[in-house]
Order: sequence, then structure tokens, then C-alpha cells
Amino acid sequence: MRDKGYYLWLGILSVLSILGLGAWIYQVTHGLVVTGMRNIVTWGLYITAFMFLVGLSAGGIIVSSSATVFNLPQFKPAARPAVLLSVVSILMATLFIFVDLGRPDRVLNLLTSPKLNSPLVWDVIIITLYLTLSLYYLYLMGQPEKGEDRLRVVSALALPTAILVHSVTAWIFGLQIARPTWHSALLAPLFVVSALDSGLALLLLALLGLDRSGWYRVDKSLFSTLGGVLAVLIAVDVFFVFSEVLTALYPAEERLMRYVNLLLKGSLAPYFWGEILLAIIPFLILVFRSNREKPGLVGLAASLVVIGVFLKRIWLLFSALLIPLLSYAPGVPLGSYLFPPFEFTRYYPVAWGITGKYTPTWVEIGIFIGIFALGGLLFMVLARAILAPSTPKESQGVSCGLTS
Amino acid sequence: MVAKKYGMVIDLRRCIGCHTCAIACKLENNVPMGLFWNRVLTRGGPGLDIPEGSYPYLKREYLPVACQHCENAPCVKVCPVGATYKDPDGRVLINYDRCIGCRYCMTACPYNARVFNWQEPLRIPGHSYGSQGVPDRKRGVVEKCSFCQQLVDAGREPFCVTCCPARARKFGDLNDPESEVSRLLRERPAERLLEDRGTRPQVYYLR
Repeated sequence: MRDKGYYLWLGILSVLSILGLGAWIYQVTHGLVVTGMRNIVTWGLYITAFMFLVGLSAGGIIVSSSATVFNLPQFKPAARPAVLLSVVSILMATLFIFVDLGRPDRVLNLLTSPKLNSPLVWDVIIITLYLTLSLYYLYLMGQPEKGEDRLRVVSALALPTAILVHSVTAWIFGLQIARPTWHSALLAPLFVVSALDSGLALLLLALLGLDRSGWYRVDKSLFSTLGGVLAVLIAVDVFFVFSEVLTALYPAEERLMRYVNLLLKGSLAPYFWGEILLAIIPFLILVFRSNREKPGLVGLAASLVVIGVFLKRIWLLFSALLIPLLSYAPGVPLGSYLFPPFEFTRYYPVAWGITGKYTPTWVEIGIFIGIFALGGLLFMVLARAILAPSTPKESQGVSCGLTS
Repeated sequence: MVAKKYGMVIDLRRCIGCHTCAIACKLENNVPMGLFWNRVLTRGGPGLDIPEGSYPYLKREYLPVACQHCENAPCVKVCPVGATYKDPDGRVLINYDRCIGCRYCMTACPYNARVFNWQEPLRIPGHSYGSQGVPDRKRGVVEKCSFCQQLVDAGREPFCVTCCPARARKFGDLNDPESEVSRLLRERPAERLLEDRGTRPQVYYLR
């Protein structure tokens, strides 16, 4: 029973996906009131996950197409798993946008009456292009006889598209004058570098998992090289964050300081400092060559980076949403209401808010886990079909780093 | 003839913070429980009606806030399906049948003027109370002030203007130099909310 582990994971992930589907059906029947989002914090876990996954996707493809574009043959073995990860991540990101819609039945309006003013429409266009390119790329890599030329052209296109895909995602947020912590010219570069480090980290985890399962062997030196690249990217990421925070902190502009304090010592401090910590620790691990030669340590560093970037998505999203620019009492009507007698006793605190609050509900967490499980499932099935040799030697199950 | 540009002028020295405009709006526009298109904020202390400072050196001001119908409206720019649009008379309006409920406009609005139907719209009493011609909004779409489109298009004024007992609210065409709003803006100093954001609101506050 060498496939036991594989089928076990397949089973677990399927069950989780179905539970996620159930949670989504519950959400559709009851409305978005079953989420923790309300009128001040209008975006929550779904959009956080969307940002995160677009990043993971873009990062992988930037690394893999660099192998062809910049002629780095040592990266070549990473290319196919990387594109596969990108395809799966971008599909998951799209699903997260879909579950966030108040009217999912009207999602096709995006295609039938798109407004080119909206960064969201730019994102729809660029993601479609990106997905098409990735799928074609994947197809080409499975057909070595089609020749290097075509592959070279596609990677030359895929590289800028991947950078653009994450920049456009950043511009969804960064072009908003209403949201001080988003409205920054540095947001797109910040997103791209976060995409690079989290995407590369995820790729490392996937390669480790594939290597362990015996489906796809990679040379040990690849981990070490990619680990070194990861260390550099982490440093750039921290540099950007530092530059951004310093620019806000030094002039100490009153309005902006309310938001910055939220990060430095307010409710988002655990996420902000957590991200910094989860950048410094993996950097300190990866900066030493001897550590990079131990796949276990590289794997640990990579998982810390992925978690760290997820924390970053959290503070990025909520730092802008928690405080309305006009935060005078009684504030904003939050938008949920129960019939009396439930509401009368606690009417005021429940119905209005001067600042926002957000905790994801079990429905959101269920959908979140469901989509990640579905992604994991898709990756496992596709990886086995595309990457694994026709007779797998042994499969102890992918350690499923991709869901961490 | 110059196109219309509807706007509102609110005299903060007349406003007494009675919330009549908020309730009038809710009634006229059939706004469900838990939502308001128009609300009265207290510029002052930490809570509703609480002044700033300590007795007897107190300061308090009321600030009625609804959609500012910005000339440079961020919400109109970001709407991916064109459900939110600037109409020829200068109002920011919503096509509720097209909105996909992505709430991008809500993150784009600096005034938090937009509210979302998180739940099945709930009304007490259990029937619609809005006036005729108010568009129907279902669960899952964003809604907001329309300058009472149904009334204004019929030659009347927004219901908050009609109901304000302090006569603090005036409505009219900002492009018409003879209108009352234009006259007030010529004669008295006015501010707009968050002017540094560059949205150029069409709601002015007189001091």
C-alpha cells in the first residue's frame, strides 16, 4: 500500500473542501452577516487571503521564469513545480474574491459591464492573462520537443505579467485616498517583494514535500541556492517596511499617527511585530551557508516566511480599515440588527461603532480552510499527474507545506 | 444651459443635533434597521452629545454626514461594474440591480457614507415604509444617500431638507448663481469635509 499516505491526504483534504463548501452555502443562504465583517471593517479574512495568494502565485512564477529569462540553469528543476503552484494559488485567490461578493450570482457583471477605471477590473484582466500564460507555460514544459524557443518567449511574457499581477493587486489598495496606510507609492514594490519571498518560500516547501514523497527529486544544492535568494528577498522586504514606517513616523502627521500607532502598539502590534520577527529569524537562519545546506532548516525558515507574510497581509489590510477618517461619536451604523428583545438591551454598542472591530467567524474560517484544502487537493492531484514519474517509488504523502 | 450640479449646504450654526434628518431619511428612503444613510455626529467629546473640554469651558458641534456627492468621487472610480455612477445632474447614484456587493466603494469612501446590506433587510414595522419610487435594495448590495432622487426629480427637495426643524439644510443647483445654495456659499464661509483628500464634495458646511 505505497499510496496509502496519498489517499489519506486526498481523503482529508476532500472532506475539508466539502466542509468549506457547506460553510459557503450557509453564507449564501444567510448573507454576509454571518461573517465578522461590518460597515467599518468591510473586508476581512477573504481579502487578506486573496492578497496573500496572489503573492504566493506571483512569487513562484517570477522565480521559475527567471530561470529561463536570465538563463539560470540551476533554477530550471524548480520551474515546473513553481508554475503548478502559481496556477493553484491564483485559482484559490479568485475563489476568495468570489466568496467575498455580496451578490455572487452577479459575478458575471464583471465581464459583461466592466468599468476600466477600476483597479479591480485591471486585476480581472491581468489575472486572466496570467492564468492563461501559466497554463500554456505548464503545457509547454510537459512537451520538451516543442523546443526551447517557445518556452523562452512565454517566460519572457510571464515574468512581467507576474510582477504586474501583484502590482495591480497592490494598486487595488494603494490608490485609495481614503485609506492612509494603503495610500503609498511604495505599496506595489512592497507587494512584489512580499510576493517574491513568500512565493519562493512556498516553492521551497513544495519542493521539499515533493522530494520527500519521491515524486520529484531535486538536487540538494538547489535548496541551498534558493535559500540564499530567499535571505536576500527577506532583507529587501524588511527594508521596504522600515522605509514605509519611518516615512510615516518621522513627520508624525497627526492623522497618520493614529494608524501607525495601531501597528506599533495597538491592536495590530502582534501582527506587525510578529511579521518583523518572522522575517528576522529566517533571515538569520538562511544567511549562513552551513544552515542552507540542511533542507530541514531551509524548510523551517521557509514556513516562517510564509506565516510572516500572512501576518503582514493582516496588518496591511486592517490598519487602513479599523479607523474611519471621520471618527466622531456615535460613528458608523454597523449594519446588523436583530429583532427585539435581543437588541434593546445592547442596542447602542452593537449597532454603532466609532472605530472598527473584526474577528473572523467560524463560517469565514470554514470557507478559508475549505479553499486552502481544495488548493492542496488540486496541487497534489496535478503534481502526481504532471511531476511524478509514471511509477512512483514510494509515497508517504506530501507533507502539505502548501497549506501552512 | 449649464448642466445642473446638485448640492447641499448645511448651516452648522443652525443645527441643533436633533437627528430629525437622520430619521426622515430613513423613513423616506425605506432604509432598513441597522443602517442609516444620514447620521448626525458629535464633534467634541468621546460620545454622542458629549462636549469637549471640562466645565465650564466646553465646546460641542454637530456634524450631519451623508454621502457628499463628490465631484471627484473615489467610489465611482473604483466600482468595477459601473453600478455607482455620477449622474448628469451631479449626483452620485447607485444602480442596485448591477451592484455585485464587492464593497470596494466602501473602502474608497473617505466619509464612511456607504452602508452594506449584510443581512436580509429588516424593518420595524414589518413592511416597507419608504415613499414611492425609492429603489428596492436587496441583501448583498451597498446603498447610500441619493439626495432623495425620487423627490428631487419630481421637483421637490430632499426629505432631510424638508424636515429639518432648525432649517439648517438647503438644497439646490450649485451651477445656478441665483439658487439659495449658491447665494449662501457666496455670503458665508463654508467648509467641506476632509478637503485635503481632494474629493471636492458637493455638500458644504456653513460656520
